[in-house]
Amino acid sequence: MSASSPSTPQLHGQPPDLQKTDRHETDHRSSRWIWTAFTATALAALALFFIPMFVIRPFRHQAPRALLLAMAVRQRAPLGTLIAALACFVLAFALWRTVDRWRKILLVLTMLLVAFSAVMARLNHFEWMFHPITGPQFLAQSASKLDSKEMIMAVHLGDDFRAYPISQMAYHHILNDVVAGVPIAVTY
Amino acid sequence: MWTRTVNGRELHFYLAGINNQNFLMRDKETGTWWQQITGKAIYGQLHGAALGLVLSDELTFGQWRTESPSGQVLAPVAKYTKEYDPNWEPDVAKLPVVISFPGTELKSRDLVIGLTINGAARAYPWETFARQSPVVDRVNGTPLLLALGPDGKSFRVFVSRIDGKDAEFFLQAETSENKDWALLDTATASQWNFQGCAISGPAGGKCLDRIPALKDYWFDWRNYHPHTTVYKH
Repeated sequence: MSASSPSTPQLHGQPPDLQKTDRHETDHRSSRWIWTAFTATALAALALFFIPMFVIRPFRHQAPRALLLAMAVRQRAPLGTLIAALACFVLAFALWRTVDRWRKILLVLTMLLVAFSAVMARLNHFEWMFHPITGPQFLAQSASKLDSKEMIMAVHLGDDFRAYPISQMAYHHILNDVVAGVPIAVTY
Repeated sequence: MWTRTVNGRELHFYLAGINNQNFLMRDKETGTWWQQITGKAIYGQLHGAALGLVLSDELTFGQWRTESPSGQVLAPVAKYTKEYDPNWEPDVAKLPVVISFPGTELKSRDLVIGLTINGAARAYPWETFARQSPVVDRVNGTPLLLALGPDGKSFRVFVSRIDGKDAEFFLQAETSENKDWALLDTATASQWNFQGCAISGPAGGKCLDRIPALKDYWFDWRNYHPHTTVYKH
């Protein structure tokens, strides 16, 4: 212990019961710090998923700066939520033995939310709404059941002519295709 | 439609979000964010890069079938056929808009044909275009021909220049002997089909150059082309 610490010499001179109270206070203070760190880390973990989800939601206006923030956060969310979740876990572990039953429940619930955020940061909920096409299949035009009035997007590259019905593309939105050896993205 | 090769590397895109009702995609290789309508990388490792435009058409299946006998059609994915909306056009038109441009010439959900010639953008209100087709116009010095197909739904845009000379086009009158859809040009009096190729007359065998164009809602076109002009006649 450093002699410059003002509390240390006093501690030795105090009666045992007072020493106990003081240690209790020190514990209390350090546990408050751990609680603060836990709360901050948990909030960060939640923000990493929820900020982009909130900004990039359909039928809402996206302001340019909010969109930039959302993309930046989303880009960092998979690693960020992982680090935050690990830190939260360590801090919750440190707090576990010092807290009552209600606070234990609070810790567990918070950890569940943090874990949810870390999982969601790795998943793409837009692809739950609009499933991608993996391994696209094509039909000869004579075998297609499309009505002649249906709208399609058409591309002609090399000797290949391909049509993408808009009713299908309006759902999938993106198709990674290769036409006449050229990789293209069909988008609608 | 876009090419997927950037700096010699093939990218694979997936749906990643929405920006004022125009979707955002990311590529699996770098995680870069791209705007669908512009093909530009707006955030991430490839920020500033642009995808190459692939010339594509919006046609009726019937029109395309007559032009592409050996063509292939994307098959519906059995698992998702219930999700396909055969009524997508009127249904999408009913969706709310989140950005608008009050004081501009058109309403948010008005359909336009949008095109860009060397940075100069112009929008053609669909109704005006469909009523007047073929439309002959000039953007940034380039003479243009916009044609509505024989089905009244398909459209294409061409450079209205034959052998380096500007030409005007009009719709061939339907007669009892000739019911086929064709355009005639004023320079050579040749007949042209909807693919932009001369099928008879002095220009026979020649084809007009194509111009990429997009059928879009006014709010979306105007949002990404703030300096666009609007065709008026």
